[in-house]
Amino acid sequence: SDSESGSEDSSLSDSELQEAFSKGLLKPGLNVVLEERPKRRNDTDGLKLCLSEFKQQLAWVERLDVTLGQVVDPVAQSATSKDAVDPENDFQREMSFYRQAQAAVLEALPKLRKLQIPTRRPDDYFAEMAKSDQQMQKIRQKLKSKQEAMERSEKAKQLRAMRKYGKKVQTEILQRRQKEKKNMLNAVKKYQKGLSDKLDFLDEEQTSSQGNKKGSANQRIKKGPNAKRRYKNQKFGFGGKKKGSKWNTKESFNDVSSFRPKVAHNKGPGKGGKKALNKRPGKRARQKMKNRAR
Amino acid sequence: GKWKNKERVLIFSSRGINFRTRHLMQDLRTLMPHSKADTKMDRKDQLFVINEVCEMKNCNKCIFFEAKKKQDLYMWLSNTPQGPSAKFLVQNVHTLAELKMTGNCLRGSRPLLSFDPIFDKEPHYALLKELFIQIFSTPQYHPKSQPFVDHVFTFTVTDERIWFRNYQIIEEDASLVEIGPRFVLNLIKIFQGSFGGATLYENPHYRSPNMHRRLIRLSVAAKLREKQQVKEVQKMKKKGSKALIGEDPTEVVFETPAEEKPVEIQLVKPESKPIIKDKKKPRKIQRKKQKKLFRTE
Repeated sequence: SDSESGSEDSSLSDSELQEAFSKGLLKPGLNVVLEERPKRRNDTDGLKLCLSEFKQQLAWVERLDVTLGQVVDPVAQSATSKDAVDPENDFQREMSFYRQAQAAVLEALPKLRKLQIPTRRPDDYFAEMAKSDQQMQKIRQKLKSKQEAMERSEKAKQLRAMRKYGKKVQTEILQRRQKEKKNMLNAVKKYQKGLSDKLDFLDEEQTSSQGNKKGSANQRIKKGPNAKRRYKNQKFGFGGKKKGSKWNTKESFNDVSSFRPKVAHNKGPGKGGKKALNKRPGKRARQKMKNRAR
Repeated sequence: GKWKNKERVLIFSSRGINFRTRHLMQDLRTLMPHSKADTKMDRKDQLFVINEVCEMKNCNKCIFFEAKKKQDLYMWLSNTPQGPSAKFLVQNVHTLAELKMTGNCLRGSRPLLSFDPIFDKEPHYALLKELFIQIFSTPQYHPKSQPFVDHVFTFTVTDERIWFRNYQIIEEDASLVEIGPRFVLNLIKIFQGSFGGATLYENPHYRSPNMHRRLIRLSVAAKLREKQQVKEVQKMKKKGSKALIGEDPTEVVFETPAEEKPVEIQLVKPESKPIIKDKKKPRKIQRKKQKKLFRTE
């Protein structure tokens, strides 16, 4: 590196180094003083002189030049960000050029109109264009193909989304139908068993004979089957033994959503005052009472 | 009207240019009706020969493309009899024929020139602006020109370079579409004369492409060297510093060499080991076979 010790620099002899040190030219850490050749000429006076000689005094109409900054974009950043246009950011850069061109056009068009220079080509004016018609066709084809490709991909995406949604809706409908069927069957069975004599489920017509048979059993409505049996019926549906279907499965065992701690620990509102009244005091309390009685 | 502003621009190149440069040149000739073409110049001739060529063709401006090493493209813009002239490095060339440039304009229509405000701030930029205006603007009532103004050239200074774009004006509300071509100019020097003379300005931000490539190579090499050095240092660390310790005589004092064994030379071949039959061998073979079958399943 440049700041290596001067002993490696063989061009300067020791005596010269000593002299330089005494003069104070050698500073710690900087032993090689590089002198840049006078590059980077910037002869401003010469430039100005040249410009003045070179400049042509022509009417604006001959030159058609506009020196203007950009159109202040109300949507995007403020004018201060123009200095911060990142040249690496392609889109931002091109937009800044575009806006500069727009500003120039907006300023120049009124001037041109005043000078009666046409800017728009009339429709019946046919003249040679800078790009041939063939070229323009190619460009149009390319644009069209790009657009088509985009549309196709959009359509495919939409189709996929719709299919997903359709599937979801279909499964929902099927599930709903299953549920309704199940409920209907349960209601029918309930009525069959005589638990409910309401014909709420619409189109079920029971014959009178069947109703008489269950008449005597109607008195047993209130009691009906056991609480345990009723619970199992509600959970697993009606009908007889279905191969152990009224047993717990792993999921139902792990499902503790119907656990009510107050009921389980007998901490809920007391089942009538009976239990409270019948509550037998504990051993210690009984001993105390006995001792007190003695 | 009468054509008064007699500007003629000579656009030509040296030998060794590639297709992109050739197309760019043709595009410029298309867009500028006041331009003239010439054959390729041999690089052996010196640059001031160009002045004579221009005089022969009766041109007072010149755009000269120079290709070096088949990689770098330089562009000279000059006002031929007396100067000034400027040399640029051209980068990022896109021609008219690119399919992403969708605009179109009349052949020979006059352009509107749009400059960045920076062009008015520095004297060298001001000189360049004047040069651009005189070269790129089509004179009014030129016989090959169309009287409409339907496209705009923009010159912007960004990142110490001059960016050129060409847009078509579609509507009166200034909606634009790019026509092309587009290129980026990196100013190298401005000379007082045409293709020679005193240097008026030298761009401090310019780095020649050779230097650029060299720096890239050096940086890569430096990285490699650093990696190697790091590896060596690690090796040294692993080995550990083997400090030389002098011979300690007290170490050797208690060393007693072992008794020498008598040398035995075997004359008779030793007995071979008895072969014990492996009772489990057939079973082992079977298990191996089963394993193989299982794996291939």
